[in-house]
Amino acid sequence: MGYVDVAGVRFTLPDGRVLLDDVSFRVGEGACAALVGENGAGKTTLLRIISGDLTPDGGSVARTGGLGVMRQFIGSVRDDTTVQRFLVDLAPPAVREAWDGVEAAELAMMEADDEPTQLAYASALGHWGDVGGYDVEVTWDTVTVAALGVPYDGCKYRELASLSGGEQKRLALECLLRGPDQVLLLDEPDNYLDVPGKRWLESRLIETRKTVLFVSHDRELLARVAGRVVTVEGGGAWVHGGDFASYPAARTARHERMADLRKRWDEEHERLIDLVRTLQQQAKNSPDMAARYHAMQTRLAKYEAAGPPPDRPPDQHVAMRLRGGRTGVRVIVAEQVELTGLMQPFDLDVDYGDRVAVLGSNGAGKSHFLRLLAGQDVAHTGDWRLGARVVPGFFAQTHAHPEWLDRTLVDLLWHGEPGRPGVDRGRAMATLRRYGLAAQGDQLFRSLSGGQQARFQVLLLELSGATLLLLDEPTDNLDVLSAESLEEALGAFDGTVMAVTHDRWFARTFDRFLVFGSDGRVYEAPEPVFDEARVQRTR
Amino acid sequence: MTLALLPGTVSDASVDQAVSRLVVEFGQRLDQQVVVGVVRSCREDLSGTPADALPELVERLARYRLDPAGD
Repeated sequence: MGYVDVAGVRFTLPDGRVLLDDVSFRVGEGACAALVGENGAGKTTLLRIISGDLTPDGGSVARTGGLGVMRQFIGSVRDDTTVQRFLVDLAPPAVREAWDGVEAAELAMMEADDEPTQLAYASALGHWGDVGGYDVEVTWDTVTVAALGVPYDGCKYRELASLSGGEQKRLALECLLRGPDQVLLLDEPDNYLDVPGKRWLESRLIETRKTVLFVSHDRELLARVAGRVVTVEGGGAWVHGGDFASYPAARTARHERMADLRKRWDEEHERLIDLVRTLQQQAKNSPDMAARYHAMQTRLAKYEAAGPPPDRPPDQHVAMRLRGGRTGVRVIVAEQVELTGLMQPFDLDVDYGDRVAVLGSNGAGKSHFLRLLAGQDVAHTGDWRLGARVVPGFFAQTHAHPEWLDRTLVDLLWHGEPGRPGVDRGRAMATLRRYGLAAQGDQLFRSLSGGQQARFQVLLLELSGATLLLLDEPTDNLDVLSAESLEEALGAFDGTVMAVTHDRWFARTFDRFLVFGSDGRVYEAPEPVFDEARVQRTR
Repeated sequence: MTLALLPGTVSDASVDQAVSRLVVEFGQRLDQQVVVGVVRSCREDLSGTPADALPELVERLARYRLDPAGD
């Protein structure tokens, strides 16, 4: 068993801004704690400080039990890392060192076959055995069979890039959960996992006896797994000792308490200043009052030196205003539509105001269908049409916009594009402010976080005057508050919404559920369906 | 790297096989007793090596020591 104890950690960004100040919390033995906060609040930085990648400017981190870390980039590895190297990098430091020793000795044996080299190789193998390397290899075999269905020897030289994001995540999670490390830091472990994968992750995190600190934006996962919630906000951190269900109320109560304490401090401060002024006047006329005046001055100085209590953190103030507009009653009519090779032909009628969640297995053609409706070139048969005054607005995080990468947000807004008129700098900044992006107005699109890019795309939808929103995984990468803000905006949107999503929490806010089955059948379900298996295709 | 048994469970039968092969290889030039002695000393020097890797490493080291070109 192990624990993590963070005490008084302070971290300053290269530009001098204090990102974290006096951050203290403890994750006790066997606890499963979620680390939450807005995009850019410092969650990943804090995980990197705990894992030893970054050195804090102040404070300390204590931990026991061996540390296993799953970094955020896992799932999007596109270099030439092999499965073997990936597993080695997830192993405890002693195993990694022994492995590197064996590799170096093997290379030396290729160069020279003399006695010292042979003895060094034998010694490296002996060390590999001493650190439990052979047991670790047995575990890796179990891990690859569980995650990929292939024995270790059959996949160890395979490039990680050939695995899907979900397979990469699953491999890392199997390795860490079955490995010897007793403390696990998991940075967005659920990204790239489909719903059955997320359910698997939930059950494994619930049953593990390890100490886990994880970052996630998936509210369903947070609600099912987290026994406590560590919040990074306002440069500090605080711990809610209960589960995620009671977290919003606890956070609101905490903010109100902080605001109240701050208000009282300010009132007392004002009172002391007034007293000092009054006594100063009185001291001019009465030497007796001089002593009281100086005593009050000292009291005020002490009060100010102690400083005010921290104020409530500023709200993110994401205010999305998706207006939309009245369209014809029939918004989408599809007759015997079939995306070539992806699904069987199906009919669909969507009416004005409908909220349609598109659910189902990965690879079934959900995103292609949305792109078809958005007017993109997608191979298909059958007929489909949009109704009167229907203006589609398409949102897709997974589809890169290379033409946006090296332009600033203000520039993108100023120039506009077909179907979206440009706006001047003043209006652009006002709109960016509502989306919590004012500080990023002159930054390049490529420099934004995933969540900030997502918010910006919703902003573009607002400006485009779309009356039919086609959203492909809109809540991926959005922090919890932004996701709730988006839900609120969609609730108030005067128009029709169709969204592909694996976010169970988000899906429940819809009223129609179009399911793309793994057998190629497309059907409507009265309730959200999340257990369609992945489509199996010959690769 | 292959999966291996932990050291200490090794049977020296694999070492005997190394002796057999090296006697065939070096028999015309060296006495069998010399070959056996070198193999045993290699086995001793490599104690602590994982069992699965031992036969190959013992034979390889003994060949190096027996081969005059390797000196």
